[in-house]
Amino acid sequence: MHAFTYTRAADVGGALQAGAAQGSAYLGGGTNLLDLIKGDVAQPLRLVDINRLPLAQIRELPGGGLSIGALARNSDTANHALVRQRYPVLSEALLSGASPQLRNMATIGGNLMQRTRCPYFTDVGFAMCNKRNPGSGCGALQGRNRMHAVLGGSEQCVAVNPSDMNVALAALDATVLLRGPQGERRVALAEFHRVPGNSPELDTNLLPGELITAVELPPAWPNARSRYIKVRDRASYAFALASAAVLLDLDGQTIRAARVALGGVATKPWRATATERALPGRRLDEGSLRAAAALAVREAHPLRENAFKVELAQRAIVRALREAGGVA
Amino acid sequence: MNHPLEPGLKSLAEAGLGSIALTVNGRPALLNCAPPTRLAHALRDELGLTGTKIGCDAGDCGACTVLLDGKQVCSCITAVAQCAGREVTTIEGLAQDGKLNRLQQAFLKYGAAQCGICTPGMLMAASDLLAGNAAPTQAEVEDALGGVLCRCTGYQKIVESVLAVAHDDLTLEPPTAGRAVGSRLARLDGVSKLTGAEKYGADEYPAGALWLRVVRSPHARAGFTLGDLDAFRRKYPQIEGFITAADVPENSFCVFPVPKDQPVLADGHVRFRGEAVLGLLGERDAIIAIPEAEMPITWQPRHALTEPEEALTATGDLIHDFAPENVLCRGRVVKGDVQAAFPMAAHVVEENFRTSYVEHAYIEPEAGYAEVVSQGGQERLRLFVCTQTPYMDKEEVARVLKLPHDRVRVVPSAIGGGFGGKLDISVQPLLAVAAWKLKRPVRIVYTRPESMASTPKRHPSRIRVRLGCDKEGKLTAMDFAGDFNTGAYASWGSTVANRVPIHASGPYALPNVRALTRAVYTNNAIAGAFRGFGVPQACIATETLMDELAEKCGIDALEFRYRNAIRAGDATACGQVLQASAGLDQCLDALRPAWAGAKEASAAFNGQAIRSGSRKRRGAGLACMWYGIGNTVIANPSTMTIGLRASGRVVLYNGAQEIGQGTYTIMPQIAADALGVPVSLIDQVHSDTDLTEDAGKSSASRQTFVSGNAAKFAAEDLRRQLLQLAGTAADATLRLEGTALIAGTSRIDLQGLTPINERGDLALGSGYFNPPTVPLDADGQGVPYATFAFAAQLAEVEVDLDYGTVKVLHIHAAHDVGRAVNPTQVEGQIHGGIAQGLGLALMEEYISGKTDNLHDYLIPTVGDMPRITTYLIEDAEPLGPYGAKGVGEPALVPTAPAIYSAIRAATGVRVRLAPATPDRLKAALKAHEAGQRL
Ligand SMILES: Cc1cc2nc3c(=O)[nH]c(=O)nc-3n(C[C@H](O)[C@H](O)[C@H](O)COP(=O)(O)OP(=O)(O)OC[C@H]3O[C@@H](n4cnc5c(N)ncnc54)[C@H](O)[C@@H]3O)c2cc1C
Ligand code: FES
Ligand code: FES
Repeated sequence: MHAFTYTRAADVGGALQAGAAQGSAYLGGGTNLLDLIKGDVAQPLRLVDINRLPLAQIRELPGGGLSIGALARNSDTANHALVRQRYPVLSEALLSGASPQLRNMATIGGNLMQRTRCPYFTDVGFAMCNKRNPGSGCGALQGRNRMHAVLGGSEQCVAVNPSDMNVALAALDATVLLRGPQGERRVALAEFHRVPGNSPELDTNLLPGELITAVELPPAWPNARSRYIKVRDRASYAFALASAAVLLDLDGQTIRAARVALGGVATKPWRATATERALPGRRLDEGSLRAAAALAVREAHPLRENAFKVELAQRAIVRALREAGGVA
Repeated sequence: MNHPLEPGLKSLAEAGLGSIALTVNGRPALLNCAPPTRLAHALRDELGLTGTKIGCDAGDCGACTVLLDGKQVCSCITAVAQCAGREVTTIEGLAQDGKLNRLQQAFLKYGAAQCGICTPGMLMAASDLLAGNAAPTQAEVEDALGGVLCRCTGYQKIVESVLAVAHDDLTLEPPTAGRAVGSRLARLDGVSKLTGAEKYGADEYPAGALWLRVVRSPHARAGFTLGDLDAFRRKYPQIEGFITAADVPENSFCVFPVPKDQPVLADGHVRFRGEAVLGLLGERDAIIAIPEAEMPITWQPRHALTEPEEALTATGDLIHDFAPENVLCRGRVVKGDVQAAFPMAAHVVEENFRTSYVEHAYIEPEAGYAEVVSQGGQERLRLFVCTQTPYMDKEEVARVLKLPHDRVRVVPSAIGGGFGGKLDISVQPLLAVAAWKLKRPVRIVYTRPESMASTPKRHPSRIRVRLGCDKEGKLTAMDFAGDFNTGAYASWGSTVANRVPIHASGPYALPNVRALTRAVYTNNAIAGAFRGFGVPQACIATETLMDELAEKCGIDALEFRYRNAIRAGDATACGQVLQASAGLDQCLDALRPAWAGAKEASAAFNGQAIRSGSRKRRGAGLACMWYGIGNTVIANPSTMTIGLRASGRVVLYNGAQEIGQGTYTIMPQIAADALGVPVSLIDQVHSDTDLTEDAGKSSASRQTFVSGNAAKFAAEDLRRQLLQLAGTAADATLRLEGTALIAGTSRIDLQGLTPINERGDLALGSGYFNPPTVPLDADGQGVPYATFAFAAQLAEVEVDLDYGTVKVLHIHAAHDVGRAVNPTQVEGQIHGGIAQGLGLALMEEYISGKTDNLHDYLIPTVGDMPRITTYLIEDAEPLGPYGAKGVGEPALVPTAPAIYSAIRAATGVRVRLAPATPDRLKAALKAHEAGQRL
């Protein structure tokens, strides 16, 4: 643990000013950041506490979408009437994550930004981790990699993005609202997180000093059905081995449109676009769904201990689609 | 207490902030600590509110749960700055005017707190729920408690307690004279666990105590040299002292007399990752702040032998010079002629099984302090520490310091879970050496990763079993061979190697048995004592084969076991003829209705599932076990004393260490009935090596049986003395009324009597019991235990064929406990054992360096637990106090095999590698579907 200072931002302008300084980190719920600091994984020089900023509202947007402030707590968001009614998949995903205590503190912004749980990353005792220490190598590639990604990995890094919420947001086509020294910008969720490629140290495209102010959801599909399925080693309070968020627009038993996103198996929240393209026109029977689900993992690269995730991801997609469609 | 800053944080002035104002338990509080200081630490260190516990310091266990503006949060992961101007409620804020609130009362009445270390977190999480929902459903309770881990209770009584708040009458009705044994007396040490007053290892320390930071090996096997410590100290002047191997008068320890193979601090060579090499002393935060990379140690890593396969064949590459082939110990039980028997058998099955390292995962990491006190002109060492074995600690610490035993006093703290893990030596000698060297009080609290890396685990096993029976389904022969990875040091490895062969046959009458075991040294984590001493691993193997044989014979699995159940009058594999109290057949009888129902229900479910295309399957499975109570042959006596005071109150000097299992409640129950007074008249002096007699270890499920007898004999002795004093007949009734003793027709004023000791006892009864055993010969023939506990458990599971996940729906647990001295405690032990057995079966696997925390190492949460129905069989043991035996370990032993049996019934898949994680089960399912063997 190293020395750092603390500033409490009174308003967004103040936060941006403090956040612009080299080595600053925003403190949301702190459930991830404080732990990383304790373990010396994160070494900010300055904590900028944004908890008092007026960014916790959840409100309807003109045109029917929803804006969720970056400081809305995970539990408040999950239990919000509009979220439950119109975006139940987000509710489900949030409630499947962490524990009640953590959800009560964790913020939407912090959840978007939460770092991987790869043990080679979170334990500084390991010399090798390209994400923590670029150029040092990846301990997981040849090491213990049961929990790692089969999609979106590189020779540099195969760490999973651990968030459940992000998977639902990916399926919902969310947009992230950012404020930075250069003003405001909007980034589609799909563009927000990065695959590791050659710069695994960057999880997202957030620029230094930029602040997440809100997440916006487009209007919900009329009559949409949805489901979030999370497969894990124990019943609660555990990260996903594989998860799937799906949205369905049905015409009787036939799929008109679908969105499918995967978690627990990829280096970023993963939209299964090939599956989505293959689904319209299919019925909800196991066979046709399986064929479509298989497309999601065509490019999977299993490692020594995690080949099971390739099948698990497909099973989760199929089950989520069938449950969403009310046939399982 | 001045630990305002977390390591590395700048002072308030530097941070440009004043103190942080908030409300704690309804009163204004000012925290003079750096804003990012985590709330749990501030509450404990700044405000002295130690009721809030730190189990993991990482958000993984929920022990630190408090309310922030009424909502549950993890205080270990919340910065105090986030609480400024807000309201924090801790466990200390629950009782009003010294009166427990309804939630606390319910916890007390229904036995929701065992060790009590998770209780603050549970109470706060439940308080959050109840504030907004006075009469929640079970599902709502489970959701609300989902973030608090409990390793003792299996959650069932906790959930019941929360549900009871809305409706139940929560008043307690203490038993009357003569009715204590068998009653559901609430824990006598319960209130302090429910108010946060209880002092665990980290909760108390003398002013000015130095912090001990232990530097540990990052290598599994290496030579090392320490650099220039003086120069190191010049660079880091906050270091007030060191301890190294050179400072340890006798640098070796072990729970056994031989081999004393483990150094307190390694001397030039380490044998496992996490081994202690150097101790730094100073002010806590300053000492913790020194970067690990700065330690003046040069390492020469060597090839580590991490698996027994490799260690056994690494000729000449010895982990310890005295252990050829790297074998610590061999166990052997041979009866009849296995070789001759197999060819005659009608059916024979054979299989290999493996199990993994399992971590105890008690929620309280090891902690305590040591100080040098002078007494009668002599320096003595006083040790306050969480332990299952204060008397052994005393002897071992005295040995290490080369002091006579009477120069060491061990005062156990409350213990936040042990399960065998705190039956070993961890912080004790380190604290002792440091305090003795520096002549200053020294304290330590292991971090979660440190606790997990450095302390012993359950032995991983490789077991091969061959089992045969005749055409009527009577077992004829078992050939059993097991290797147990004991890691770098002996610990309790030889107990495992010796206990397993005795139990290998299972609770069945078997004419021909050969059971051979080895405990093998490796450079892996140390394996030691863990609830069941190897028997749970063996039980997985043998019970799986029992199912297979039953199937081959075409006999129902329960019936097959019933036919073979060992009964009073039968001889065990050791040739011991069971005299009485062998209640396996009764356990199985108790399960018959549930067994029929469960089989029928799962068949109906599966029929429906297949018709509807569902990928879920259900199954029901059984497993039985037996378990020898107390040490294997080795003497394990207990002594108890009990005195009568002039106040008219009775004092039990109770050295049977409470570890959550209830000895501080059960011993008074037994003593009360033996003396003939209500238990409410009994006070206790809890275990303290200066004040109580040696009641042995809280291990081997022995306390109720062994110390319970000692307590009974002590009370009977006191009763005899009092009746004699009163000059009445030996069978006269005895009563205490105020300060008067009434025996038969005579009445004695106690105030008029002269105490016989400086404590004020007017008379002192003493009791001693050592279970009668007969040493085993070279073939393991003899009487290893005075009595055995028996059990049968029935598991109902649902397997998801797509995912390979298993949901355990219901466990029916029938246990022959001889006599349930306190049914609430017995049920609690059973529930908790089942939870640990479920973890062993489905999720727990410790991998050194990769799972040294409670999010990579998973233990069951409330949501993982099935409904549990207990059936208490009381086949009285004539040797036991009021017929009682033991239940602590037996509860866990049959759970994993019962679950595996159910999985097999549901899917046809035989589990051969524990834990059966979803990926493993899925692979086995696929192989099974493809008609392959995996
Ligand atoms: C034991 C445990 C179990 C968990 N299990 C799960 C799980 O099963 N599923 C799951 O999805 N998650 C899980 N989590 C993770 C949890 O969801 C995250 O810790 C949480 O969402 C992070 O939110 P926070 O507000 O506390 O973030 P913080 O810790 O405050 O911040 C995290 C990161 O985000 C940055 N940040 C925060 N807010 C902003 C902002 N507005 N703009 C820019 N940057 C910002 C911070 O600087 C930091 O880098 C678990 C966590 C723990 C501790
Ligand atoms: S101590 Fe806070 S969650 Fe474990
Ligand atoms: S009582 Fe829950 S951990 Fe001990």
